Amino acid sequence: MTNFIEYLLGGLGSGAIIALMALALVLTWRATRVVNFAQIGQAMFTTFIALTVQEISGSWFVALVAAIAAGALLGVVVQYLVLRPVKRSDTSGAIIATFGVLIALQAAAGMIWGGEQEAYPQPFNTAGISAFGREWPISVYDLVVIGVTIGLVVGLSLLFTRTNLGLSMRATAFNPEVARLSGIRVSRTLTIGWAIAGVVGAVAGVLVAPISTLSPNSFDILLVFAFTAAVIGGLDSLVGAVALGVGTGLVISLVTGYSDSSNAPVVALVLLALNLLLKPDGVFGHTSSRSV
Amino acid sequence: MSDADSINLLELDEIKVKLSGLQILDGVTIRVPHGLVTGLIGPNGAGKTTVFNVISGFVKQDSGSVTYDDKRLKHIKAHHLTKMGISRTLQGVGLFSTLTALENVMLGGSAQVRSGILSQSFAMPWTDVETERLRIAAMAALEEMGVADVANRLPSELPYPLQKKVALARALVCDPKLLLLDEPAGGVGAADMADLERLIRSWVPQRTVLLVEHHMELVMSVCDLIWVLDAGKVIAWGTPDEVRNDPAVLAAYLGEDGAA
Repeated sequence: MTNFIEYLLGGLGSGAIIALMALALVLTWRATRVVNFAQIGQAMFTTFIALTVQEISGSWFVALVAAIAAGALLGVVVQYLVLRPVKRSDTSGAIIATFGVLIALQAAAGMIWGGEQEAYPQPFNTAGISAFGREWPISVYDLVVIGVTIGLVVGLSLLFTRTNLGLSMRATAFNPEVARLSGIRVSRTLTIGWAIAGVVGAVAGVLVAPISTLSPNSFDILLVFAFTAAVIGGLDSLVGAVALGVGTGLVISLVTGYSDSSNAPVVALVLLALNLLLKPDGVFGHTSSRSV
Repeated sequence: MSDADSINLLELDEIKVKLSGLQILDGVTIRVPHGLVTGLIGPNGAGKTTVFNVISGFVKQDSGSVTYDDKRLKHIKAHHLTKMGISRTLQGVGLFSTLTALENVMLGGSAQVRSGILSQSFAMPWTDVETERLRIAAMAALEEMGVADVANRLPSELPYPLQKKVALARALVCDPKLLLLDEPAGGVGAADMADLERLIRSWVPQRTVLLVEHHMELVMSVCDLIWVLDAGKVIAWGTPDEVRNDPAVLAAYLGEDGAA
């Protein structure tokens, strides 16, 4: 039982990071009805930029701000230059195009920063916290990650429910034509959605890098877990992405604790398959019906 | 009826639209006078909705011009309409199913919001003031439609006539000069028809209404002026009585045999 609780505690930090990346996927889905597989590539690229800024400035915080700015910009660029022209003719083509962007970003990162594993500086202590006469499997860094995730989720919830921009984003995702007639600049709103997703992904990248490594492909596995969480969460639900992101982190921690970390991706894919079989709309998804 | 352009809020001149090789509108000229309820009728496929789509910027005409409030509109963009004082409802209700009735109506006033993206993203205090102002305007529009009590309900929880009223409240919240109503009577039962008629008449002369409608009883009772389209051309226009007795209109609706 002690092991079980320890494994759960140990999974909270990584669960929060998976939740952030799942949030980014949900945000692009809500904005444009496209799963952005390039999200992980964007996060990797902006984390490399952050690492460069960190090396120049020596400040983890300045590097984080640089990643956020780069994340927003990259989100806008990908949406504007790739997604918008492709989606105009074909939605499935747009999804394939995001794979293309992922490959292009990984190749570009390899050319600019090389393909070697880079260590990202750890801004806070990643060793387990010592309290009540023992060391717990959760670190100060994990608590920071959890805090940042909660802060972002609260901020996004307020944005979506309390501001006109949030309302416009929700409306645009549902019916762009009616949104236009309501005075909403739809294309601009979609681009903002991708920019915000880029910011969330960039934050996830900067947070995951210190507890893993950084290379053009090192975040790929995070995409598997985040995609699993986003789909099981309902793909449309911010709450679902967060709950299932944390849940996925806990499951992975348990699988890793009781067996081997190499089994974690298999378990994620099994969960995804079960979800598609049993509840294809996702745990927090809903099929809306209208009387006509 | 004499042609007096100065009294018109909206004018369409010789509009031609070809879509997928078909001539949908073939030189359509329509006048919508200030402060009146103008109807646009015609058999299915006559081009009525395309006229609305041209005015709304969803379809670009191949030739012809649109003049609104004495200004010729060159590149109409749908998201500019509410700022220009034009509100359009769609066939059906077109409500956002994941937003409450109040949020749906608030969206109709989006164009009035002046705060920028960054200030909204960072929830600056003045954005709260603007959102609150929009909320008050939306509640007033819901009250005008008599549905303020369903403000926090989702559209799917409301009976269809109430959904229609919420959609109309969304059209009213930006205080439009011109209301484009696309089949407002669609799905409305006989019991609510008199209510709808009274409502539309209550908007004039402060507002101008152009409506597309199949429900002839409503059209004849609510409209001051009617334009009749058939196969992309205006075949008649005039008062309800003039249109009702026009042989071309009878032929279009009933066929040559029926007209005879």
